[in-house]
Amino acid sequence: MTTMEVLIDPTGASERTSDMTLSLRPGTLAGLRVGLLDNTKPNATTLLEALGDELRQRHGIGSVTMYTKDYFGTPVKDELRDEIVRECDLVVTAVGDCGSCSAATVLDGIIFERHGLPAVSIVSDSFLMSGQAMASLQGFPGYDFLAATHPIASLSAEELKNRAAELMAGVERILGAEVAA
Amino acid sequence: MNGPAVDTRSELALEADARGIRDVLERYQENGWTDGLPVVPVSESIVDEFLATSPLDPDEVLFATPHLNRELTVRYAAINAALAGCRPEYFPVVVAAWKGIAQEPNPRKGIWQSTTGTAPFTVVNGPVRERLDINSRGNIFGSGHRANATIGRAIRLALINVFGLRPHQLDQATQATPAKYTAVIGENQEQSPWPSLHTEYGFAEDDDVVTSFVVRSVMHIEARHTQEAEQLALDFTDSITRTGAFIHEYTNALLVLSPEHAQVFAGAGWDKDQLRRFIFDHAYRSRGDLGRVGKDAISHHARWRLAAGHPDAIADTAQGSQTPDRVPALAAPESVQIVVAGANNAGVSAVVEVFGLNPRLRPSSYSAVEYRTS
Repeated sequence: MTTMEVLIDPTGASERTSDMTLSLRPGTLAGLRVGLLDNTKPNATTLLEALGDELRQRHGIGSVTMYTKDYFGTPVKDELRDEIVRECDLVVTAVGDCGSCSAATVLDGIIFERHGLPAVSIVSDSFLMSGQAMASLQGFPGYDFLAATHPIASLSAEELKNRAAELMAGVERILGAEVAA
Repeated sequence: MNGPAVDTRSELALEADARGIRDVLERYQENGWTDGLPVVPVSESIVDEFLATSPLDPDEVLFATPHLNRELTVRYAAINAALAGCRPEYFPVVVAAWKGIAQEPNPRKGIWQSTTGTAPFTVVNGPVRERLDINSRGNIFGSGHRANATIGRAIRLALINVFGLRPHQLDQATQATPAKYTAVIGENQEQSPWPSLHTEYGFAEDDDVVTSFVVRSVMHIEARHTQEAEQLALDFTDSITRTGAFIHEYTNALLVLSPEHAQVFAGAGWDKDQLRRFIFDHAYRSRGDLGRVGKDAISHHARWRLAAGHPDAIADTAQGSQTPDRVPALAAPESVQIVVAGANNAGVSAVVEVFGLNPRLRPSSYSAVEYRTS
């Protein structure tokens, strides 16, 4: 006797919902308070500082504040997230250059977007797939983040400045920033 | 072959829609719901048979990774156990393995996304080994036993399917280990000269218990050359203290002794604690050995080994001790766990390299196997 039955999706995806809404974009970045979220990976601080400098020069942002995660492999803790949401208008987080921290960096961006803060997550391009997988897992397939040329950890300060300059077009795209023609 | 045609089909010979079955299996592959090997299709009535073996509520969460926004319920553990080819009666062992994994510090923090590439590794003790034919006696790390093959695979398939830990995606392992397909062994309690692993946690020999490890590798130790306990113990110790094992400040190991090797120690009057203590006392490298490979210090935050000249370097614990040139590989005797497994036919054992970031009382977690009694 043949009994036909429906086969089960073993992932549980059918029981989950997605939320692919970005936070509102400000238009101009002039005068805004920028949060930089350092995940403690080597060179993350220097890369973020260089990006802060670029944002200041190109967009006349109001202030830059550095925040530091306590563990790179998991997402930002709720208290730190709330502090950044309170004190900043947008956030840039880096650098996802390992298996767990690439995914966590992308998740940080999604968390801030869902809490109303435009966010730019930066991973190294060796871990692009990991970041994309995390976005899908979080119900945000296609979430836009930046993949910097690998490696980051071994770059000199000068090379990091160049890397930051290269990343700026992507930063402006994700933030929906008005760029002077 | 010549001669008259002989019908070799027995009355049990099956007919099936082989092409139809292949089409179904291809669909699973297309969806990525697999470790690469064919899986066994799962329907609601089959899941029910698995759930019926466990006393737990199907919605109870066995293992959660908050940062991935994912949790594994008993129901999804059952679906993936069926998918892996388990028989329903294996399911209580799968559940116990998940309970062990859930107590381990690193899986819930994302170790299976890591480039390191570790695998879950499960040791089963108790009469359940006989009931389910969980292999403990010969070819234990090899293929060929359904229970060993599918219980381990049930874990891996759920990691892939429920937690999205697919290679090249969320699983960023640089190389990983073949143990990722499956790694389940029974302890050969019957041919061990010592009390079994789970009795160290206070269980009786005939309790069913699962012990969960997170492992880097299974290192083959062929040592047929000696019947001297000290020589044999030093041979194992040398493999445990290879410089490659000095990744963090300390390492851990699971010694899987063949019955013959265990008997060498027992014959010399050593119990497991004595063997552990001996290995601990001898498991060190000289500061010079570590300096030659650039590992004579540790990083200040994560305590990874690196060269003393590195800008992030601080002194390791040994540096501040009475014997700064003697750098121990193990934080404590209990960093070495010991089980007996394999055939009683040769001096072949294994050092399983156990992943760990910080020293713990024991580098593993355990859970009793729970059955539904009705």
